[in-house]
Amino acid sequence: MKLMAWLRSFASPLFRRSPIEGEMEEELRAHIQHRADDLERSGLPRKEAERQARIEFGGYQKFKEECREALGTRLSQTFVQDVRYGLRMLRKSPGFTSVAVLTLALGIGANTAIFSVVYGVLLRSLPYKDPARLVVLQETTPMVGTVSVSYPNFLDWRAQSHTFSQLSVVQDVAFNLAGVSQPESISGHAVSPNFLSMMGVRPFLGRDFDSSEEKPGTPPVVLLSYRLWQSHLGGDRNAIGRTITLDDRSFTIVGVLPPDYRSVEKLDVMLPIGVWLTNNSAAHERGSRGDLLVIGRMSPDAGWQQARAEIEGIAARLAQEYPLSNNQFGVSLKPLRDAFVGDMRPAILVLFGAVMFVLLIASANVANLFLVRSAARTREIAVRIALGASRGRVIRQILTESFVLACLGGILGIGLAVGGIEGISRLISMDMLSGATVDMNGAVLLFAAVVVVLSAFIFGLAPAMQLTKGDPQAELKDGGKTVSAGASQSRLRDALAIAEISLALILLAGAGLMIKSLYRLLSVDPGFQTEQVLTMRMDLRTAQYAKDIQVLNFWQQALERVRTLPGVEDVAVGTVVPLTDDHSRTDITIENMTLPEPGNFPHPDVHMVSPGYVNTLGITLLRGRTFTDADNENAPLAGMINGMLAKRYFGNEDPIGKRFMMGHPGKDNKWITIVGMVGDTKLYGLANPARLEIYLPLRQFPQSEMELLTKSANDPATLTSAIRNVIASIDKNQPITDIATMKQLVRDSVSIRQITLILLGLFSGLALLLAAIGIYGVLSYAVALRTHEIGIRLALGAQRADVLRMVVGQGIRLALVGVALGLAVALALTRLMNTLLFGVGANDPLTFVSVAIVLTIVALTACYIPARRAMRVDPIIALRYE
Amino acid sequence: MTVAAQILPGTLDLLILKAVSLGPLHGYGVLLRIEQISHGALLIEQGALYPALFRLVRQGLLKASWGTSENNRRAKFYELTASGRKRLREEADSWGRLVSAMTAALGAHPEEA
Repeated sequence: MKLMAWLRSFASPLFRRSPIEGEMEEELRAHIQHRADDLERSGLPRKEAERQARIEFGGYQKFKEECREALGTRLSQTFVQDVRYGLRMLRKSPGFTSVAVLTLALGIGANTAIFSVVYGVLLRSLPYKDPARLVVLQETTPMVGTVSVSYPNFLDWRAQSHTFSQLSVVQDVAFNLAGVSQPESISGHAVSPNFLSMMGVRPFLGRDFDSSEEKPGTPPVVLLSYRLWQSHLGGDRNAIGRTITLDDRSFTIVGVLPPDYRSVEKLDVMLPIGVWLTNNSAAHERGSRGDLLVIGRMSPDAGWQQARAEIEGIAARLAQEYPLSNNQFGVSLKPLRDAFVGDMRPAILVLFGAVMFVLLIASANVANLFLVRSAARTREIAVRIALGASRGRVIRQILTESFVLACLGGILGIGLAVGGIEGISRLISMDMLSGATVDMNGAVLLFAAVVVVLSAFIFGLAPAMQLTKGDPQAELKDGGKTVSAGASQSRLRDALAIAEISLALILLAGAGLMIKSLYRLLSVDPGFQTEQVLTMRMDLRTAQYAKDIQVLNFWQQALERVRTLPGVEDVAVGTVVPLTDDHSRTDITIENMTLPEPGNFPHPDVHMVSPGYVNTLGITLLRGRTFTDADNENAPLAGMINGMLAKRYFGNEDPIGKRFMMGHPGKDNKWITIVGMVGDTKLYGLANPARLEIYLPLRQFPQSEMELLTKSANDPATLTSAIRNVIASIDKNQPITDIATMKQLVRDSVSIRQITLILLGLFSGLALLLAAIGIYGVLSYAVALRTHEIGIRLALGAQRADVLRMVVGQGIRLALVGVALGLAVALALTRLMNTLLFGVGANDPLTFVSVAIVLTIVALTACYIPARRAMRVDPIIALRYE
Repeated sequence: MTVAAQILPGTLDLLILKAVSLGPLHGYGVLLRIEQISHGALLIEQGALYPALFRLVRQGLLKASWGTSENNRRAKFYELTASGRKRLREEADSWGRLVSAMTAALGAHPEEA
């Protein structure tokens, strides 16, 4: 209500005269009348007396202006006046207005839409207390990079650190939730009891964990996510104290997390680490590293460097003290924000830069339109200055006009942005956002408003300065017909067109590099078959799978029954599906190797697989054989290695028949004989190098958590429900998760680059179009101004081809200067997108040459219409016009 | 025969305050009064009066109200406020000091140096 009243009071002067203005007018008029009365008394006729009085009064408008200033109403008052005037001018030239508004709307809309991503992902504060002081800590090893933290190491960090006021573990957990319509797998975190209070989060309902719940053996309790509480317990407040069955174990619900609780991955439950330790006693071994990371809160007086130095010092001491488990292990620290942002930051920043360029191009274009249009207004402006308007006043008025234009563009742009945000959030998958919301909100609107004001300045100021520079006297004498201010004005117009071309070239170069990267990336041989393979994950956790034989029976039955489904060509199970960042790695010892330091053992990725695995995924068998059903619990242990491991540890020797064992030499060494050697696979994404891999037969190394891989003759996705039925027929309570085709996984693995490419392509297309319009505008105006000159030239015998050469020559000059400038800047800027590129240098010559050619061709095309118009000039008409 | 002098910048406000101190006036009246009390020696650009009047009103030195003039026209009349009166006194004093100082300085004889 209040807002409306405020708006009305602000807007009303736009549409009617203010009373102050009327009074002022009346007062000044009264003065003139009084003077006229006196003059009349001295004998002048009334008419003459009034004329005389007006002359004596002096510059009426100028004094009125000064009065307004004296009243202090000047700024707002004149602003209102200017806005009114601006609207009137814009209404008078609808063509100019609509082109300018549309151009600006595209620029502002693109900026606003991308900013909503920047804000949602990079800027919006995380829903924790003082989130800037929260740090993610992980261990590192030179062999693999970042790895999980060992629980005993965490305990030592916590005991010794002073720079962290609090530290907590975060262990990924997953459970099968049965007894619902379709069995499902839920995931969550096991955390130190202080976790929530450290994050500054209070449970929505119930209680936080208690410090006693850190020790193993504590009664199983669980906090539910708001979502799970709503979907499975109907949001019942009496659910606190009730129990929920996870993996056949009964957990007491002690609370519910707040609805806006945010975690990097989907979180359904949270339990105290003590509950998890009860069933994972191995975590107490220092060498055991599972899925655990540490989050800490830096104490208020500790700085980043200090914290890092301290934790690294602790880690170095631990590495000395426990060489077997900690040799060469360091610590990495990163802000919690980075864990949420993931690899999206460079892509977002590149895109944000790109839309800024689009906005600059749009502004340059509108500035050009402004210049061209206001060239016709030089006389009007000269008159105003002659009548006593100060230069600043006229500049302000032109700026207000551009501001009005920018506002119109902004309103339309925000409309476009709403659509754009919708489109972008459809492009970006939920996983990539890790809980960030990308939407139109106050901050985004504020940004749009700032962009509007800035762009109004960018495209308004240069023309305003230019237009008021001229000498009003000359302007008036010339009758406004000449192009006297032309030289410097056309220089400015040329500069704007050149700037547009350079900016467009930069964007095109970026898009070109992305296209090439994506093409290179998708043509990388992943080392396995990506067509027609369906993957799904199952984890056998309940009591009925306590024994290995039960697990093996389940997989055996699943494989046999799926194989008989129509359309299935091959089926297998394996522990890891490529490209998903899932992994299981371990140290191995090769027979007869000189034992390295504990941290330097070969550390390959391990796959436990069923016999059909290599065939189903289409991995190449380089030597020896793959597993068969004979590689079972009664046979000697067998293994396969990949080419990379063979090359690094066996050189040119044939690895078949050689032996290795899991882990470091110890009491019960179980040697595994190498029976086959297979090709390397791109487990960690197409852009990342292959690593060492070993394969072990499932029958000899039973695993309860596996990926079922089905190769079908047709579209593999159609098999989903048939396979679901097969699994339900074996165990109706067994959930199936992560259903995806291998093709989807490949697409997902390049999705950040793909989205960047799509958006960058879109923006550079827009830039190209705007730049073409820019060149077109400059040239057509130049031709219009020179019609007379061209007429004379033709009359004096110039050939039409000469005229064509003249116009096109001008266009080409602009284009070439723009291209050269753009190339220089692009060469420097594309370096910034290095992390997004693959298989192509940031200064790839072919890309740069191609975009330069494309841009030149587009520029030439833009010359075509103005050039044709110039050629068709009829000398008679052109001269008579004068 | 009087030679009309351009008034010094900044003195217009003082003249207006003085003129109005002699009784409420409308704008044109202020002009006539200044002409009269300066014996026609000071020339004011007519329009320039109004921005000055508006400024003085805004500073709270003058107050204005609408009334009817001797010519039977509607006009805005100005009169001094209390702070306007105070200001006039201060400004007149400092003007007097300036004038006597300037006169003394310009009238100095060589032997006084």
